[in-house]
Amino acid sequence: MFRLPIDFESFPLGKGPMVMLILFLVSTLFIFGRSEQEGENLEFWIFANTHYEEYQARVPIFEAQNPGINVQLINFGGTMHDKLLAAMLSNFGAPDLVEVEITSIGRFLKGAIDEVGFVDLRPRLESEGWMEKLVVSRFTPWSYRDKIFGIPHDLHPVVLLYRDDLFKAAGVEMTEIETWDDFIAAGKKATRDLDGDGEIDQYAIVLDRRTESDYFSLLLQQGGGFFDEAGNVIIDSELAIETLEFFTALFNEHEIATPVYGTWHGDPSNFAAMQDGKILSILAPDWYVGILKSQVPQMSGKWKAVGMPAWYPGGRRTTTRGGTMIGITKQCENPYLAWEVLKFTYFDRPGLINRYETTRIIPPLKSAWDAPIFKEPDVYLGGQPLGELFIELAPDMPPRYQNPYWSEGADLLNDAIFAAVTEKKTPREALTDLAGKVRALIAKDRDRWGDL
Amino acid sequence: MKQKRTTNLFWNQQQKIAPYLFIAPFYLLFVLFMGYPLISSLVMSLYEMRGFQSRIFVGIGNFTDLFGDPIFWKSLRNTAYFAAGTLTLQLPIALLLAILLNSKFVKGKNFLRLAFFAPVLVAGVFVAIIFNLVYDQRAGLVNQEFVLFGKEIGWLNEEKYVMPAVILTGVWQWAGFNMIYFLAGLQGIRQELYEAAAVDGANWWQAFIHVTLPSLRPVIAFVFVVSMIGSLQLFDLPFILTNGGEPADAGSTIVMYLYKNGFQFMRLGYAATIGWVLFFIIAVISIVQLKLLGIFRDE
Repeated sequence: MFRLPIDFESFPLGKGPMVMLILFLVSTLFIFGRSEQEGENLEFWIFANTHYEEYQARVPIFEAQNPGINVQLINFGGTMHDKLLAAMLSNFGAPDLVEVEITSIGRFLKGAIDEVGFVDLRPRLESEGWMEKLVVSRFTPWSYRDKIFGIPHDLHPVVLLYRDDLFKAAGVEMTEIETWDDFIAAGKKATRDLDGDGEIDQYAIVLDRRTESDYFSLLLQQGGGFFDEAGNVIIDSELAIETLEFFTALFNEHEIATPVYGTWHGDPSNFAAMQDGKILSILAPDWYVGILKSQVPQMSGKWKAVGMPAWYPGGRRTTTRGGTMIGITKQCENPYLAWEVLKFTYFDRPGLINRYETTRIIPPLKSAWDAPIFKEPDVYLGGQPLGELFIELAPDMPPRYQNPYWSEGADLLNDAIFAAVTEKKTPREALTDLAGKVRALIAKDRDRWGDL
Repeated sequence: MKQKRTTNLFWNQQQKIAPYLFIAPFYLLFVLFMGYPLISSLVMSLYEMRGFQSRIFVGIGNFTDLFGDPIFWKSLRNTAYFAAGTLTLQLPIALLLAILLNSKFVKGKNFLRLAFFAPVLVAGVFVAIIFNLVYDQRAGLVNQEFVLFGKEIGWLNEEKYVMPAVILTGVWQWAGFNMIYFLAGLQGIRQELYEAAAVDGANWWQAFIHVTLPSLRPVIAFVFVVSMIGSLQLFDLPFILTNGGEPADAGSTIVMYLYKNGFQFMRLGYAATIGWVLFFIIAVISIVQLKLLGIFRDE
């Protein structure tokens, strides 16, 4: 009779621990014994579910066209940026390709420019003529000191999304609105106490006073910013102060704005307020329309879109909010191959059309804009061709200059906006204090490090 | 003969070495995963990092910067607020629940124990997501009650309500956990003490004050210290609940500020400094608490 060459009974701690030991050894062999796939392997880290789903569908096509190349997609969700930071700090374990969100890129640009963990893509972009094919202002969030560390995934132009039915009921035709002054006049008509109980039942617009999102969008629309192209702090410029004065006046003087319900525009509380008719308009980038469609499908047909009101007749009717880039890390062993994957995921026309179809995100590649899908009526917007409006506005998008101090600056800007809207400080005081703090921070670093 | 001597020497040596080998795995792991990071972070707190490769020695510069940093003080105040709220609300509730579940008049004790303990099994991230809906300004469970008085409270939107909202969430999550400690403590009190108190004419309240509380002293001290340490290390709950501590840093805590400096601002030296200051705060408070509660006294 066959007997196992193992004596269970005489194992020191009995049968149970022995079984556990065997399982441990077998699973260890299984995990570490697997051979890597043959051919070239590339690792691509992603933080957004929608992007991950898109690439899951697209990457097999690239692999079929390029036999022997395996692209491993890893979706780490919101923790991805921290993992990337740790991998770059330890100079080990970073992926070949990675997507980075616009508010997170600043921290990766700290230190000497040569120490940045991404490959400068400018030479490739220029030699292959891609700069002219993409919206050039969209490179600014991913550029620093003349180097381009990422390719824009999107444009994220912003429109004014509004409740046509409720504005019309208040006697306002939103398509006639051209400037912010027009909007204030219209907003005063539309902001109403419908049941006469002394409480306002509908507000012309919802704005975020907790974070920089809406204020900064308005500032960018006018060509302002936190930092200029040379890296100087300009958040206390007259333009920035006047914009914050305007922003606070929408709440406190004109009383046509309500603070965002919940913690941000995508909060269920905010969606509930929209459904109740309490919110009549919102500044919406393309991706936000995608969120609305998936989170509040029952509001289909109730929204319409128009370009943002301009600051003066004939002025810019859009701004930008949010964004993602793709970059090649310096730990990548085959940047040429990574560049090919990058081009396939970011510059391939069918992929970009599919992206718009699923997420409403407008691509930065201008040659994709003539696809019929962008002209199709959008049921969610009552048949309005939303893509057409976004593409009409896209060429006029303002630049948004990147800076290593953006994260610290944005954190303090949030506080400054809240202090101004809640009237703890005047807009001038809030922004002057803020600029002083950021300048002091930079000056201190300069003292320690010399030229930054 | 020579071989026998060699064997004896081997066994003698082995007997000396064996105990060290048995305990070696713990110390190796401790040195690798605790000792090294601790020393490394202490060294890091004396440097300022710049980018991914450069660093410069600043001595106690990070410490002096920290003590002049208003956001650090605000985060410290918020953390103290949470700790005070936790200790004054959560622990009495936990003790009350334990007394109720220890009483012979309550039915379904096993079910109730499980029900009160269950929240601690939910990860902090999910608790925060659940309570984001509970505090929802329009349709949240809490405001569904308060709206009857004609006001929609922005629990997570107005500075003054943010920390109370975080404290109440902490109470929901941890009161049941601390209840288990108190329950174990209550079950360990000898029945004879209550019988003796009853013979002396003590009523329920007097028995509680003079028998239950003194007998529970070691458990109270333990729960007090552990809750205080947990409160000072608060991070995930307010971070998710308030979307990073906003508005106006009303939900910012020390650990959150440490995280922001380390991972969002790439100021690793400064973050390490915050970590060490937090360590000293926890150590001092814990020692003072244990001292006040008489844990160091010889019985």
